[in-house]
Amino acid sequence: MTEIPKESKVDPRITKKLREIVGEKNATAAKHIRYAYSYDMSFVKPKLPDYVVMAETVEQIQELMRFANLEKIPVIPYTAGTNIGGLCIPERGGILLDLKKMNKIIKIDAESHYAVIEPGVSHGQLAEALYAHKLRFGWPVGPPSASVSSCAINHGIGGLNARYGLNSQEITSMEVVLPTGELVRVGSCAIVEDAWHSTLPLPKLDGLFKGWLGGTGIVTKLGISVHPIPPFLKVFTVSCDNVEDMYSYMLNLSNYEICDDLTAVSWWLAQVPIPYPYREKPDGQPEWFSFANTNSFTQKEKEAREEIWEMVVDEEKNKGTSLKVTQYPEEALRARTQLPSQIVGSTKNYCKMAGAGISWPGTFTPANKWAPVYTEWKKVLIGHNLSPSVRMSMYRGVHYGMLRAMIPFNKQSVDETENARRAIVECLKIDLDHGGIPYKPPVDFGNEINKRAHPGYLMLLRRVKQMLDPNDIMNPGKLAI
Amino acid sequence: MEWKISSLKDLEHYFWRCTACGTCRSAYDFGPPPITRPICPAGTEFGFEGYYSSKGKAAFARGISDGSLTFDDPEFLEAIYKCTVCGGCQNQCQVDYKPHIPEVIEAMRREAVKNGAGPMPAQKNLVQSMKNYNNPYQGPRRVRLDWTRPFKKAKTPIKDINVEPAEVLFYVGCTGAFNKIAQAVPQATARIFQKLGIDFGILGESEVCCGSTAMRVGDAEEFKRVATTNLEAFRTLHSEKGVKTIVTSCAGCFRAIKKDYILSSEYNQMMDGIEVLHTVQYLHRLLKDGKLKFEKQLPWKVTYHDPCHTGRHLNKFRVDKDGSELWEGAYVGVDESECLYDLPREIIKAIPGVSFVEMDRIRGNSYCCGGGGGVMTGFTDWAGKNAGLRIQEGMETGAEKMVSICPFCYFNLTEGSKRIGSAMTLHDLTELIDLALPD
Ligand SMILES: Cc1cc2nc3c(=O)[nH]c(=O)nc-3n(C[C@H](O)[C@H](O)[C@H](O)COP(=O)(O)OP(=O)(O)OC[C@H]3O[C@@H](n4cnc5c(N)ncnc54)[C@H](O)[C@@H]3O)c2cc1C
Ligand code: SF4
Ligand code: SF4
Repeated sequence: MTEIPKESKVDPRITKKLREIVGEKNATAAKHIRYAYSYDMSFVKPKLPDYVVMAETVEQIQELMRFANLEKIPVIPYTAGTNIGGLCIPERGGILLDLKKMNKIIKIDAESHYAVIEPGVSHGQLAEALYAHKLRFGWPVGPPSASVSSCAINHGIGGLNARYGLNSQEITSMEVVLPTGELVRVGSCAIVEDAWHSTLPLPKLDGLFKGWLGGTGIVTKLGISVHPIPPFLKVFTVSCDNVEDMYSYMLNLSNYEICDDLTAVSWWLAQVPIPYPYREKPDGQPEWFSFANTNSFTQKEKEAREEIWEMVVDEEKNKGTSLKVTQYPEEALRARTQLPSQIVGSTKNYCKMAGAGISWPGTFTPANKWAPVYTEWKKVLIGHNLSPSVRMSMYRGVHYGMLRAMIPFNKQSVDETENARRAIVECLKIDLDHGGIPYKPPVDFGNEINKRAHPGYLMLLRRVKQMLDPNDIMNPGKLAI
Repeated sequence: MEWKISSLKDLEHYFWRCTACGTCRSAYDFGPPPITRPICPAGTEFGFEGYYSSKGKAAFARGISDGSLTFDDPEFLEAIYKCTVCGGCQNQCQVDYKPHIPEVIEAMRREAVKNGAGPMPAQKNLVQSMKNYNNPYQGPRRVRLDWTRPFKKAKTPIKDINVEPAEVLFYVGCTGAFNKIAQAVPQATARIFQKLGIDFGILGESEVCCGSTAMRVGDAEEFKRVATTNLEAFRTLHSEKGVKTIVTSCAGCFRAIKKDYILSSEYNQMMDGIEVLHTVQYLHRLLKDGKLKFEKQLPWKVTYHDPCHTGRHLNKFRVDKDGSELWEGAYVGVDESECLYDLPREIIKAIPGVSFVEMDRIRGNSYCCGGGGGVMTGFTDWAGKNAGLRIQEGMETGAEKMVSICPFCYFNLTEGSKRIGSAMTLHDLTELIDLALPD
């Protein structure tokens, strides 16, 4: 049997006021509309919002926040709900604020290389607009219809992370409505209305709204850096028989900083789709594949990158590792290099076999802990009859990066969902104990983070949250503090 | 005659395969260049996730099956009918739910009808009219022949196949027969057939609705009644009047006969020896055989609108039935070879003088005119508004005229054009062919 969200209380007076703010058609308490926002693909239990509102202007959001703050009603910002962490599932009911109608690309400054977007702008939409200027951004390996800004403000990871950093590092300015309704700006646009190029050298107040899971305000405009598309693409693909050898190769190659994306995936993640339940890897197949995307402006630059890569491969082979130059499975390679991708977007390569459910222990972990953590994860996941479908990506100029296991499950079954949840939380604890930190964490993860947190950190977190959101109405409960 | 029409319960496994990833919200193609366009008329108009695409429809289906959502809520009932069943969302999805998406939408409606709640009041009239008159337009039977008046006047009457035998049955369809604007479609078709000397006949007053609208709004019983009558009539016409080919200019009828009638246990037996073709397929064959020769210049700048029913609704999905390929019920792939994407374009391009430009959303990603799934009857205003969006897209190509191959799209897009004050006119492909043929 599947999990059914519990009914909530709806007050017609509130619905009426919400309609006054955003218009008759844009606010509702209808059960069927609320139901469609009560769940996502993650293991997080479904919960109903009490109202759903679609805002179209910044002024509407301000008025809504003033009202919600007065009435102490929770507000949950939502763009596409694809965060894989139940982050838009209301912990305490309230108003689900759907921002997809605010989808204007306000500006593309092709000379200064930044764009200004509203929260509803999707990866697919921005990719099209930027391409007209031969520009690009770090597209995640996720749904093309999801929001660029929601990805960036929650420390999302795109396909240019090894070259330019995480998507949150690309943020250049922000306009935000505070939980109390005031409109604020951070970065250059705070000083000069139309200047969206940088958060520096001002105090980095953008940190007040990044990584807070929609808990400190509603971002209404976002400036982001955008980059030229170098015309020469070369993808280097190798395989290894074990995680240690793959780590050695990635560490070595990342020193030269020649890649846009340097990623390795386990055999299970390289399958389209990920096997569910767990299936043994066939004998003779390598356990790890890596793709290193490089983009160059000239043929000579491309050849120089090739030269470096060949040198690294030779060095690794000389060390006696199992590294082989191989073909990465074709469809899986397309899904990860032709971004945004409909193949991954529609979760074909993740949960087509399992059905409806997917969650992850997605973490930023020191690279020298990848191998030991993977080895332990593998035991836990196989023990729960789940595929150890793990990805490791090296971030820009550093030796830490993404370590995550994409775990599909059959969401129709409460038991199978719970089995996945247990395994994932267990994996998460292992990673935390090795110094990794989860991103876009569901509440279950938040609890584990906070258990280990320095008391001063928790105090500061509470204080900042209290300062910005005195009535704890912004996506309450998600930070697990 | 047994019919294998799925219930919502039968499809539960499939709507539980939806990940709620939202990829079905827009048509996206990597390119390069990448392109993203809205694909869901319901989501575009109503905005909330429940309305949006197959993701929203899976939510509704889950809500019905777990008892959270019931048809006694009139807003919910309306919501399941606020969908043109165009399949635009289906074209984007890649998981095992994909092959069953329109089926799930219609199964919810069947459930609503079974409960005595559905369809929408205006659609109830339509089904009642089918029961009374064998057509959804509340038109007395004799009106069915109104479109043939110019032929009588010109002393070129059309054969009544009940009386005289013919190899080709021209199955006109109710929209072409009863809708004044759409009558241009059967008229052009019949003129072409006469010019080419094709031996064809019509059922005239005895033609019975194909049942498409009843099926789309969830009245499976009424659909079965008319479909059974038609299958039996087709058999009789084959054995007694020598009918070998059924040609229709209506995308809805074509879709119904090709995709809904096959749900009958006796389809193969009834249709043995009978080929069902859309006019476009029939005429394209003649073009290839050199029998359709255009002589007149048509200096028109046109764009082409792919109707859902002659496009992606004709997709053939490969599903692993027994688990021998992937796993039981797995969506394996799609065969688009029966979708009428290339044929109309090839005919348009063969007409002398015509200059042809494409819109952004074409073929499998065509943007629905807004009239399907009972929406034109149930939510007339929205249908027209949505058609205006499509016309706008057509105008952006610089074309002056929009061509299509469905009387439903023809009518609704004409309404859309009027609504936005556009000078763009709608034309069935048969009208272009008729004009380009020698008299
Ligand atoms: C198959 C799959 C693969 C994925 N791969 C990746 C990947 O490679 N990298 C990656 O980064 N992500 C990935 N994701 C996650 C997700 O798709 C992206 O991060 C996406 O861009 C999030 O956008 P969304 O519109 O779905 O956000 P939502 O889920 O709607 O929102 C995310 C969070 O932001 C908050 N929020 C939304 N709007 C605002 C606002 N305006 N102001 C303040 N808070 C707000 C919400 O409350 C929520 O806490 C993947 C998802 C899937 C399903
Ligand atoms: S219907 Fe398909 S594309 Fe749409 S949300 Fe569900 S799984 Fe994703
Ligand atoms: S069938 Fe068409 S109108 Fe209905 S949900 Fe899908 S895309 Fe939208």
